[in-house]
Amino acid sequence: MKCPRCVQRIHRAAASCPHCGFTLADADARFGDEEVRIRCLTDSAGILRRGDREKVELAMERITRRFPQVFVAIYTGSLGEVANIRQFGFWLLNRSAFEDVPVEKPNEAGILITIDPESKAAGMVFGYLLDPFLEESDTFECLSRAHAYWLEGRYAEGILRALKHLDGILRKRSRQARRDPEHFERKVMPPVQMGDLVRRIRAGHRPVAEEEATAEVLS
Amino acid sequence: MRFFPVIATAVLMANAYALVEPTLPVWDLKQRAELEAAGWIPGAILLTDAPVPDEPQQPAAEPLQVEQPKPEEIAGDLKPSTDIAEKFLPAYFAERPKTFLIDPQGLLSPADYRDRLSFLNYHASDSSIDLFVYVMGGEQDIPSEVREEEMIERFFSAGRPAVVVYYYLGAPQRSVVYLSPSITDSVSAAEQHRALESSVMQAFEKIRHPEQLEKFLVQMSIRIYWMERMLAGDSASVAAAPSARVAAVRKAAAPSAKLLWLQELARKCAFPAALAGGGVLAVFAFGFWRRLSVRYRFPDFEVEPRLGGAHAAGVGAVISFASAAVPPASQRDQVPDYLRRA
Repeated sequence: MKCPRCVQRIHRAAASCPHCGFTLADADARFGDEEVRIRCLTDSAGILRRGDREKVELAMERITRRFPQVFVAIYTGSLGEVANIRQFGFWLLNRSAFEDVPVEKPNEAGILITIDPESKAAGMVFGYLLDPFLEESDTFECLSRAHAYWLEGRYAEGILRALKHLDGILRKRSRQARRDPEHFERKVMPPVQMGDLVRRIRAGHRPVAEEEATAEVLS
Repeated sequence: MRFFPVIATAVLMANAYALVEPTLPVWDLKQRAELEAAGWIPGAILLTDAPVPDEPQQPAAEPLQVEQPKPEEIAGDLKPSTDIAEKFLPAYFAERPKTFLIDPQGLLSPADYRDRLSFLNYHASDSSIDLFVYVMGGEQDIPSEVREEEMIERFFSAGRPAVVVYYYLGAPQRSVVYLSPSITDSVSAAEQHRALESSVMQAFEKIRHPEQLEKFLVQMSIRIYWMERMLAGDSASVAAAPSARVAAVRKAAAPSAKLLWLQELARKCAFPAALAGGGVLAVFAFGFWRRLSVRYRFPDFEVEPRLGGAHAAGVGAVISFASAAVPPASQRDQVPDYLRRA
């Protein structure tokens, strides 16, 4: 897991980035702290034609149908000079209210692709539901599939390619999770407290006789 | 060298003198008078235009009287007779043919004959109008004593309706079509003409004579199907091309007689094979449908929120597509804020 601002590794339950101190509040300060009402496919940059929109919506719906817990959102827009697309994606998925997503499906189940045609950058963020199952490398592979198309300005085709690859990854992860759920659960287990760890190590090294004596005293 | 001009001048003058022709001799009148008085001038006969005195007059030559050749003596045409030899006539025209392909002269090779006959048999099994084909040589003529219309009426009035074709091998354009009396009224002459014309055109697509006949028969068979529809009074469906039938006829014409057993086998196995094929297809379709309709679920684990985000902190990759010179592979290891613009 990486910090959206400094891109340094952070631990699972970090309340703020241990390297730069980044939190959602910093993103709120930049982009606003109010709820944003958008649709799953929001083309603020106007890079998708009508026919393209339909194709993209169809691909998004296909993923939603195949993975009932998950939904995909796509946002295109110019993020301004100082904007950082990684921070923006993180902020948008936390602050947006998707009008066309059922209320029983929270943003934790969302996968958001953000495209900035002005700065020519795209990013992908995902909610806590998929946190154990998706890696940064997975999202990188999805975006890589679209890279050649986006270079030529064929945004819709790029999105379709990315979604197709995402579909494949999600299917694979779902099958793996069904076979070995513990493997994924371990990835999100709360980190062990340092004090507990030291106590357990020390207990492990204590001689058996001393341990018994201690037990007697305690009793 | 001093005398060169003089010598040159002398030479030139000598040449000029040599070029002048000598004049002819001329009579001295006095000398001539003396010779005439003597009674003879040598060469006077030859050198005068006056007629030779006392020469006898010869009568004009009469034309030669040559006896004209008698009609029986005049040589006949060198080309052999084009009429079909008399010995073959009974086989052609004595009775209603027992096979659909009549070739008593053996103009077709046995293999070609077999193939064409098998096609005509197939046609007869599939159509209510038979097709009889008389094969004759490209240069041959039907003897004048044979009256085709009368023969058709005599042999083909009874039995199944038939189309009779006189086909001239190597000269399809000479072909003639007759219809048995029972269908003559129903099928217009224009339709007959069209059938013949299209068949001839099809025949000319090939060079070899047997192949021409094959194409001719296939097309004629197709046109007969149209006639059949006309007889049924289904003129509306005649307009629509009976492509299925066309395909079937063409397909049937293609295999040779050697493959007939294979056709038979295919006919017998068609239903089980179709059943098996349909089953396999259904299994595949079911598998495909199942694959499409399958739903994937993820276990819902408790994840502690990070960075103050209530819903998400799973920051994935960011990729730049500003330049083709920066491929995705070079962006895999992302540096902090590398996409931030100044």
